[in-house]
Amino acid sequence: MIELIKELCAVPGVSSFEDEIRARIEREIRPHASDVRTDAVGNLIAFKRGAKRADHPLMITAHMDEVGFIVKKIDDKGFVRFAPVGGIDRRTVIGKKVLIGKHRIPGAIGLRAYHLVSAKEEKIVPDIADMYIDIGAADQKQAQSLVSIGDEIVFDSDFVEFGDGMIKAKALDDRIGCAAMIHLIQKELPIDCAFVFTAQEETGARGAFGATFSIRPRIALVLEGTTAADVPSVKGHRRVTCAGEGPVLGVMDRGAIYDRDLFERLRHLADNRGIPWQTKRFIAGGTDAQAIQTTAGGVQVAAISVPVRYIHTSSSVASIRDCHHMVELAEAFIHSVAEDPGAKSE
Amino acid sequence: MSNLPTLLTSLSSIPGPSGFEHDVARRAVELMRPLTDEACVDGFGNACGILRGTQPGALRIVIAAHLDEIGFIATGVEQGFLRFSTIGSVDPRMLPGREVTVMTDPPIPGVITCLPPHVLSEEEMDLAFPREDLFIDVGFSHEETVTRIPVGTPAVYRAGCFPLGEDLFCGKAMDDRACFCAGLLALEMLQNAALPHDVVLLGTTREETNFGGAKTGTFALDPDVCLALDVTHAETPDGGPKNTDCVLGGGPAVGYGPNMTPRIRDALIAAANAENIDIQREVMPGKSYTDAWEMQVSREGIPTAILSLPTRYMHTPMETISLSDLRAMADLLVAFLKQPHGEEVAE
Repeated sequence: MIELIKELCAVPGVSSFEDEIRARIEREIRPHASDVRTDAVGNLIAFKRGAKRADHPLMITAHMDEVGFIVKKIDDKGFVRFAPVGGIDRRTVIGKKVLIGKHRIPGAIGLRAYHLVSAKEEKIVPDIADMYIDIGAADQKQAQSLVSIGDEIVFDSDFVEFGDGMIKAKALDDRIGCAAMIHLIQKELPIDCAFVFTAQEETGARGAFGATFSIRPRIALVLEGTTAADVPSVKGHRRVTCAGEGPVLGVMDRGAIYDRDLFERLRHLADNRGIPWQTKRFIAGGTDAQAIQTTAGGVQVAAISVPVRYIHTSSSVASIRDCHHMVELAEAFIHSVAEDPGAKSE
Repeated sequence: MSNLPTLLTSLSSIPGPSGFEHDVARRAVELMRPLTDEACVDGFGNACGILRGTQPGALRIVIAAHLDEIGFIATGVEQGFLRFSTIGSVDPRMLPGREVTVMTDPPIPGVITCLPPHVLSEEEMDLAFPREDLFIDVGFSHEETVTRIPVGTPAVYRAGCFPLGEDLFCGKAMDDRACFCAGLLALEMLQNAALPHDVVLLGTTREETNFGGAKTGTFALDPDVCLALDVTHAETPDGGPKNTDCVLGGGPAVGYGPNMTPRIRDALIAAANAENIDIQREVMPGKSYTDAWEMQVSREGIPTAILSLPTRYMHTPMETISLSDLRAMADLLVAFLKQPHGEEVAE
């Protein structure tokens, strides 16, 4: 599982530029699914028959896209001007290494040297529109031969295991969820399941709408990465979640109020198995649940999320234990739904 | 001749903030040993390599490039995270989400914390994270961090080197190991030359804090001429220095100002002109913030000059230099060192 997370995080997949990550995931799941297809928005949908037939398969989702940037302009000196794709805090991008376009041209997000900065200026973060990427081009023409307007820009960041069972990489949100689904799809399942690796979650859960519409589930489970702010300068509820203290069971976020019955089901399953769990102590963020819940006639939705520190940066951090606990709980949930769908509408 | 990107990468990769240069100095001596008559680490930790001239009564010319880099130092542990100060000057805006190597044995990777936006008000979102709110996340429990990482343990940026385009090269500690590489290249080119001087390449320590390496090393070597090699700011889109026009790829910059002895500076320019080496001019009206500041006033005073390598994003993990500037710097050193300088010193 950890090896798989490592491999998936290495693949670029900025929202709407998911071709590479989709191909990589498809290679993993094709031998295990009865039907695999890519829909119009770019979702990768894999259907797997279970021991029990279901008119409405259990839908399990994780998004395969990641936050990144897009080339807006190549300026007259050959520097690349850019805009974020997805929610990126501009304070975390200064001085980071990126790769641009299909040829992965390396670049560095520049900032003039500290020696030249006034005491006032060092407290202000430049606007994204004033930032630039240095690709080492001698002039505009040379830069244009290397990158084009509209090219995707992805963080260049390796995978590191460190500390007491922690991992660091870009795109842990939500390649952890993708790895969990790849793990689950390889198992003998008790019920028909549709696994959706969604596109464009980071730009507003754009992929999940169509996938939910075509699958028409009654129950959906979202596997996500969520904010952890358990650092010394953040106190109390503002920590949101704590890495290493168990997966986060969805109650409410900025996009959705999760199905209460399914939350209770997850909670009991976790307690019965001795799996630690937590809820968000601060209503923040959102997942594909907001789209899934309101598609077609409506869907009962639940979420299991792994806490991720420094989420949406090049160096996100998560706990390996939380990843394993997410998979264990998701598997228990599938079996529980097979035994008792408990769906509110039939 | 050495493969320059390989050499730069190998030197850049060794952690060595001011006061903790041992490993990089040892490597510097290894690199100098085949190129010099004598190479060692001196009492203060400087790496020192001497190539003796072929003539009796030779002058001694010391070329200094500092081996230390900016970095961090652990000042305490809070909830398992390291509280830290910086070694040398570091823009706090470079730090959120930044990866570092904590210099324990074996080294421990860490990530500097950042705060998610929801914790902050709209106004705060436009401001840099206050330095004191940032910690190094090493992924351990409080007890384990306390045990593994004693207060006073240093750390450096965790960053590799990579080429940018055809001529630029990017990585940590280009300031000033790139200039040390220029010194090595010059020594290579001087191997079979008729050398009128004793040439010393001095890899100095603690330049980023108090120039202690240059001060003690120069005193010990008692040179006739000093030349400090260091980086200077090159133009960037967000301005760079408004009153200079130093660019990457324009060649090394010769320093003008009180820290430079004019006749040595002019000898450098004459050497550049004689060999058709493009140079730029850099004015330093007062303190140069280089090793030359201490070298010039060592003992009874020593004729000194500064040769600078243009650099973008100084003191970041992506310091960017031009390989052609670096080679030109080495060429200029060779041209300068091959000429006699008795008159300039005697004046």
